[in-house]
Amino acid sequence: MQNYIIKRIWSALVVIFVVSFITYFVLMLIPGDAAQLILGTDASPDKLAELRNAMGLDRPWIVQYLEWLGGLLRLDFGKSYLYSTSVLGLIIDRLPVTASVAVLSILIAMVVSILLGTVSAIKRNTAIDYFSRSVMQIGSAIPTFWIGMLFIIFFGLKLKWFPISDYSPLSDGLFVHLRSLAMPCTVLAIGETGMMLRSIRTSMIDTLDQDYMDMARVKGLKNKTIYFKYAIRSAMIAPINVIGMQFAKLMGGTVVVESVFSLPGLGRLLLIAVEQRDVVLLQGIVMFITAVVVFTSLVVDLIVMLLNPKIRIRTRGE
Amino acid sequence: MLKKVLAVLMSATFVLGVAGCGSSKTSDEKTTETENTGDSTKDTLTIAYTTDPEGFDPQRTAAISTLEVTSNIYDTLITCDADWNIIPDLAKDWTISDDGKEITFNLNEGVLFHNGREMTADDVKYSFERLQDAESPKAKMYANIIGIDVIDPYTIKFTTEKLDVDLLDSFAYPWTAIVPEEAADNLKTEPVGTGAYKFVQWTPQESITLVRNDDYFGEKANIENVQYKLIPDMTSQLAALMVGDVDITEVTADQIDVLNNTDGVKGFSKPQNSIQILALNQENEYLSNEKVRQAIAMAIDKDEIINTVVWGNGTKIGSHLPVSSPYYVDTTDVMPYNVEKAKALLAEAGYPDGITLSLKLPKTYQTHVDTGTIIADQLSKIGVKCNIEIIEWATWMSDVYTDHKYDMTVVAHSGRLDPYNFLSRYKSTSGDYISLLSGDVDDLLDEAVQEQDEAKRKEIYAEIQKILAEEVPCVYIQSLSKFYGLNDKVENFEIYPIDMLNLKAVSFS
Repeated sequence: MQNYIIKRIWSALVVIFVVSFITYFVLMLIPGDAAQLILGTDASPDKLAELRNAMGLDRPWIVQYLEWLGGLLRLDFGKSYLYSTSVLGLIIDRLPVTASVAVLSILIAMVVSILLGTVSAIKRNTAIDYFSRSVMQIGSAIPTFWIGMLFIIFFGLKLKWFPISDYSPLSDGLFVHLRSLAMPCTVLAIGETGMMLRSIRTSMIDTLDQDYMDMARVKGLKNKTIYFKYAIRSAMIAPINVIGMQFAKLMGGTVVVESVFSLPGLGRLLLIAVEQRDVVLLQGIVMFITAVVVFTSLVVDLIVMLLNPKIRIRTRGE
Repeated sequence: MLKKVLAVLMSATFVLGVAGCGSSKTSDEKTTETENTGDSTKDTLTIAYTTDPEGFDPQRTAAISTLEVTSNIYDTLITCDADWNIIPDLAKDWTISDDGKEITFNLNEGVLFHNGREMTADDVKYSFERLQDAESPKAKMYANIIGIDVIDPYTIKFTTEKLDVDLLDSFAYPWTAIVPEEAADNLKTEPVGTGAYKFVQWTPQESITLVRNDDYFGEKANIENVQYKLIPDMTSQLAALMVGDVDITEVTADQIDVLNNTDGVKGFSKPQNSIQILALNQENEYLSNEKVRQAIAMAIDKDEIINTVVWGNGTKIGSHLPVSSPYYVDTTDVMPYNVEKAKALLAEAGYPDGITLSLKLPKTYQTHVDTGTIIADQLSKIGVKCNIEIIEWATWMSDVYTDHKYDMTVVAHSGRLDPYNFLSRYKSTSGDYISLLSGDVDDLLDEAVQEQDEAKRKEIYAEIQKILAEEVPCVYIQSLSKFYGLNDKVENFEIYPIDMLNLKAVSFS
């Protein structure tokens, strides 16, 4: 098992390195650079060359890449040209927002999905099953920006229950913090519930059809025990992978929801880095997101390993 | 294990329940807060903005978003009011030599930088040298200044190489801000100026905070605090204005009526010093033919564009100057809308069966994208097929502006006081993406910038405008307006012909 974990961490590092190389390379192919944006409509070819030289943009990209990579090893992500501050600092500033949003949305989606998914798998083809299947369809079909606007207009403007553009950090108090996140997280959760619910329901149905479920019934165990002690545990293995990936996705920031609800999260930082060709910043965020995804999938694998006796035993045997 | 899962679920439900309770409680608090700020004690002006500025160094950026904020933190030697009049600022008066090549400013005494040091002629000299150096985007515009002499701490003389009759105007732009040398390295994040507002804090992607400068040398600002609040989404901006979270926000033309019919808010619209053009690349095989360009000009119904895209809030133009410029002449009848004639011109040029051109539109500017879409439809009626490509601003800058790799594009030019700075890009030698390759305006432009007689200068600029209208390096569409939504209490809000948004006069009723 230890070997397995070490192997996983090693391959994670390789993934991160490959991603860093590819993004840097692709960025060099895209037209437009920071110097051009700074000069704007006053640019002339000689002026542009001078500024590129001053900013070090005229060196071969591989040199710029290696220099950046060297910094990365010293945990120096470089300096954003746009904000003139350290990239790592900018990412860390945004992390609490993005993390709060991701955790809260996933929690809401999980509560709804596990409850609805389990019940509708047990009571297949009843009203509640049809209801939860429509939730799946609607959840995945509605565009988040649209439902976000509806929320703003109804709960923000008409009822004035929630602030429209005031993000309050946790340091302002838990209530105020959660209140400022209630709308965006609900909107995100609606989107995530569709996929999560589908996966839980399918997996639950699959588990309930297994022979050992009949075995348990024959044995005379109570329904409650069967469902909650045995079925859920085994049925959660597949959905946990889905949930893990959904969480990783949200940790990378959510451009649309962050824009609609004016949240200072990673998604918008990424967007502005792209728009302004702030290569150092962009590269830093991409690295960070890659690390989050790789790390999440590592954790998910470990959880699955702990949950699933078969995998646990097999790796132990290695 | 199961117990743990249940515990997590239960605590999650609990947290959500609490959030629900908390919301009703805090919403009450919020309402009373809003009521409190509603009376005359309101001392914070909140402005919504969509994109972060590129820091606050006025001499290291071309971003209007930066300059609109920095114009409140820094001052310039002279400035202009909303009606294009040049008025004194850091300089109390000035004299121009008879040959027009020297200009001497007398500075106000006792002007303090926000760091407490007095501003003198040495700072002016330093700031202009900084404006002319390699890292400054505007250096080219000031290359004509060859001498900056400090005569005494409150007198400074600028000498130009060639006569430029519009020289005075160039001292009003917000990038000529006077900055202190000791703070110059960090101006991007820690701006220090002499302006009516002092910089307090910038939280990237959240807010910018300014506070009134109580040591300001002129009339002090009316409102104590200014907060810029980043709200990227237009609908959210409007909603924030309506609940009173922000006092000023930019809106689109169609929302002006809605705002005027809503309690507590009002719409504000005014023609802006900005013109929208459809640039035609004269290096293109078809577009190098003047007749083709004229055909395109005549096939475009500018009224339809203005009515559809900006809901009638624009003024049709025929050449490259905004209607609000004192040098503007009406040339809209030179290439009037006439589909039949346009078809005939295209046939005359040798393309009776039509041509195909690409039309690049900058995604960041919805107005230009909408305009381009309508133009594509209008041109299809004379057989000019447009392949629309919607591109990012950075791509527009590199492909269209720098490399001239385009057939047609829709964009706006703005923010210059004097006609020379608007029109000099048409010189055949300028290398600009819309320079007039026939060279027919080169001599006239040289003449205009040297002509000290105002009436004669006006005549020359009128001639240039006419030539541009006839030779159609661009189709000139409209003079754009700017639209804002304001809280009812906001008074004295104005927009300016140059890239600044002066807040010191703004007050609450």
